[in-house]
Formats: sequence, structure tokens, C-alpha cells
Amino acid sequence: MSSENKVPEHVRLLAEQAGLQRALKMFPDGVTAAVERGLRPLPTPAGADISPISAPASIFDPARFESGK
Amino acid sequence: MSDLAYLTLTEASQLIRTKKLSPVEYTKALLDRIAAVDPAYNAFLLVTAESALAQAKQAEAEIAAGQWRGPMHGMPYAAKDIFDVEGLATTCHSKIRISHRATADAFVIRKLREAGSVLVGKVALHEFATGGPAFDLPWPPARNPWNRDLHPGGSSSGSGAALAAGLVPAALGTDTGGSVRNPATCCGIVGLKPTYGAISLSGVFPLTHSLDHVGPMTRTVEDNAILFQALTGYDPADPTMTDRPIDDCLKDLNRGVKGLRIGVIEHFYTKDAAADPDQVRGIEAAIETLRKLGAEVRTIKLSPLPVWTDCNRTIHAAEAYAIHERDIQDRPEDFAMLTRNRIMAGAFVSSAKYIKAQQLRRALCREFDEAMHGLDAVVTLSSLLLPCPIDDTPMVLKTYDQQARLVFNVTGTPAISVPTGLSKSGMPLAMQVASRSFGEATIYRVAQSYCEAAGTTITSDPKTQPRLVAASRPAAAE
Repeated sequence: MSSENKVPEHVRLLAEQAGLQRALKMFPDGVTAAVERGLRPLPTPAGADISPISAPASIFDPARFESGK
Repeated sequence: MSDLAYLTLTEASQLIRTKKLSPVEYTKALLDRIAAVDPAYNAFLLVTAESALAQAKQAEAEIAAGQWRGPMHGMPYAAKDIFDVEGLATTCHSKIRISHRATADAFVIRKLREAGSVLVGKVALHEFATGGPAFDLPWPPARNPWNRDLHPGGSSSGSGAALAAGLVPAALGTDTGGSVRNPATCCGIVGLKPTYGAISLSGVFPLTHSLDHVGPMTRTVEDNAILFQALTGYDPADPTMTDRPIDDCLKDLNRGVKGLRIGVIEHFYTKDAAADPDQVRGIEAAIETLRKLGAEVRTIKLSPLPVWTDCNRTIHAAEAYAIHERDIQDRPEDFAMLTRNRIMAGAFVSSAKYIKAQQLRRALCREFDEAMHGLDAVVTLSSLLLPCPIDDTPMVLKTYDQQARLVFNVTGTPAISVPTGLSKSGMPLAMQVASRSFGEATIYRVAQSYCEAAGTTITSDPKTQPRLVAASRPAAAE
């Protein structure tokens, strides 16, 4: 049994969805580890207020790009 | 030659300005030294001897004619091979870009060209400024001049090695999670990650757009301030840049630290992660020195180090994958294993996780800003551990996140790595001095005061320099 055949099904599905079939075939352990790292949840520091209302995502400011024209 | 190898930029500049040192002879001497010494350290990917001598001749003629342009005039330097130089490949130390040719200079290369500096070559890095030292690439990894079997730090590894080996007095690096300060720490030199937006990123191959910084690398603090000032200037082509003027970093450089209020982020290395005892002893002695010099020192508390690490690494993974997606899909075998594994994780970071990381980043920035109230600067460790064997991949992976540098990429605030002495095993130790945005002048003032008092930087005194060895095998054989 090749190491590719040991790859968990969810890893295979996610890798194929991401277009990483070639990487999965050549480097199954690397893809498996990448899936684990990518899906690991982000910690929230105690007391930090990161609600979407108080801390929205960065706002795109087109003026910054126009100033160089 | 050994007299010229470890001249500081400040010393060389003074000699050049007063016509006691010829830029041509200086450049020739360093090129000879690169040819003799670098086969053991692999700092250079490309030596641009011919164009360097032409630039040196031009500088010499201008200075002879009374047209001295400033302290970088006639000054040799090396650039990490991630900066575009017109007509040369920007390989990023990768097989992927081996046939690339740049059609224009990066903004900072242009700045140094205008300052009359002499580019002697392009230096090694971790592939695409990430991953680690790799042996499965077209070029070998740079080696540490203090011990060639140990990691020189990265990703600006060639810049750090070239400075410590006395091959150049100045070098350019980039820093996304500590890539200027890590080789500075491991090689016993000085490296600054400036404020985000203070130095243009135009013409620099990106790793992570919102965390990338260009940084000056030198052997002394004063040299670093000179190089930093030569690199600044508003570049409208870089939308991340600010047009806020940069404070003069040389004016108060030697004012000392008496009365300055310095915070110590101690829990990063005493509670959040296990640090090497030598590194801890190094920073504790440095803090004591700062106290004796008249600084008011107190400890401060931030979120635990792993929170900063996860925030940085999530943004890093997502943004880096966006850059490399097509190559990772189509030719994953052409990346080094360490690079490929690091970048691939970004394929599985959801958009929700990325946005939450940016929200967390804002919260952490606020936290740092509040912690800085009543303080002029903070100090903490740079690396928590000593450099590991360069070919010990599990240890390279372990040490990758055992560091407190990426904190200041998250905040975008400036931080410098300065040497604090040597470990029992003879390897460089270091700490970081950091401050709020555009606090570079304060950082340099604290760093200069400490380094002058402690005498920890590499100088013309052989006792401060690494003992270099001859090449044990040709670089191509690795």
C-alpha cells in the first residue's frame, strides 16, 4: 500500500478541491500536514474584543492607489 | 586585506570622503575576499564583479571631482536575491524563477544607485523568503560564519553571512516574520525591520503583502541608521507606503538612554515558551546595562506569544499561497520540501479564518499601542533558542516559531536585533529593541547606547569577529 493510499478521505477531497492532485500524488504526507495546519482554528486572546462590529476587516482605500497616477 | 574587511560603513565612508580609501581598491579587496572566503559560506548566488568595478570607478571619479553624494557613495553592498536589479535574474533562490530577468531596479536598488553605492552581488535566502535552509535547490544554503555547521538564520541568510564574514559592510534583507532579524541574531550583526510603509516594497518579490518589510543589515547600529536613511523616501508606486517624513535617526544617536522609559516583554521568553538559558542571560545582562545607563525599566504584559504566532502564520499562509497557487498546483516538485510544505497550508485556510486573523491583528495592534503608553521603547528576545544544525530539519522546524520577532510584523512597528554577546558554545546572542510606528530614531538611540556600552558588535578588532574556515568542499558538491 503506497503512502498516498493512507491519506484520509477528507484530505484527498480538500486537496482535489484545491487543485493539488499532483502534490497529493507526489507528496501525500506534506499535503496531509498542510491540511492539518490550514484547518487549525485561530485562538482568541483572553479579553480581546474582535467582534465584527468593533473590528471590521481592513477597508480598501482606492484613493491610495489613485494618488500615484 | 583583513584591515578593510571589517571596516564599518561609517569608517569606510569617512575614508572614502577624505580620499584616503579608493572605492575601486575597496571594492576589489572585497571581491577578492568573496572569491577566497565565500566557497565555505555560500553567501553569494551571484557576484557582479564587472559592474561593481564600473560603479566603483564612477564613484571614485565623482569624489575626486568634489561631487561626494553622501555616506553610501562608493560603498559596496549586497542585496538579497529577492530585489529586482535591471538585467539580472531575481531568482528568490528558487528553480521556479531561474530564467527570470528584471526589467527595472527595485525602488531601494534605485535609491542606492542614486546614492552612488556599489552592488557587489546578490545573496542567498530561504526559497521565496520562507521555508528554511534547503539542500534540494539549484544553490546550496548560506552557512553561518560563526560555525558553518549551524543555521545562519533566515530568510535573509546570505545577507547575514556576508556581513559576519566581512564580505560587505552593508546588505539588504526582507522581513515578514523575522527574516532580517533572524540572520542578524544568528550571525551577530544588526538588522532592522522598519515601520510598515517606511521603505518601498516596489520591485521586491512578495511573500506576504501585508507583513512584508525591507530592512537594512549591517555590523553596527550607526551603520544601520545610515543605510536605513538611504533607503527611505516616498514611492507612489507602492500603495502600502506612507508619505510621512522619517525622523533623522543620526541626530540623537549618541544621546544615551538616561531618562528613557523601556518596557521588557519578559513573559515571551520566561513563561510562553522555553528559552535557551544563554539567550536569557544575554538579555538580562543587557537590561541591567540599560538600567546602569540611566533608563527606567519595567516589565509589561501582552497576549501570549503563541497568539501572535498563530495570527502571523495564518495571514502568512493565506497571502503566500495566493502568490504561489499556480506553481504549487502545476509543479510542486520544483519547490524545496520546506517551502512547499509551508506554502501549501495556505490552500486550506478559509476566507473566514483569514479575516478573523486580520481582525485579531487589529486587536493585537491596539493592545501593543496601549502597552506603549508611557514607554519610549520595549525590549525582548529575538530567537529563544540558539542556532541549530543546518541540516537537522526537525530542529529547523522546531526553532522556526521559537522566536518573538513576528510580533512586530503583526503590529507593523519597528524592531531591531542587536547582539548581546556570545553563548557558552561561542554563538551570537541577541535581543530586540522595538517601539511604536516611526519610532526608528528612538530604537537606534537605545540600540546604540547599549552596543557602545557593551561592546557586542563585530568591529575591526579580531576578538569580535568569527573565526572563518577555508572551504571544506566546493559549494557545488553540496
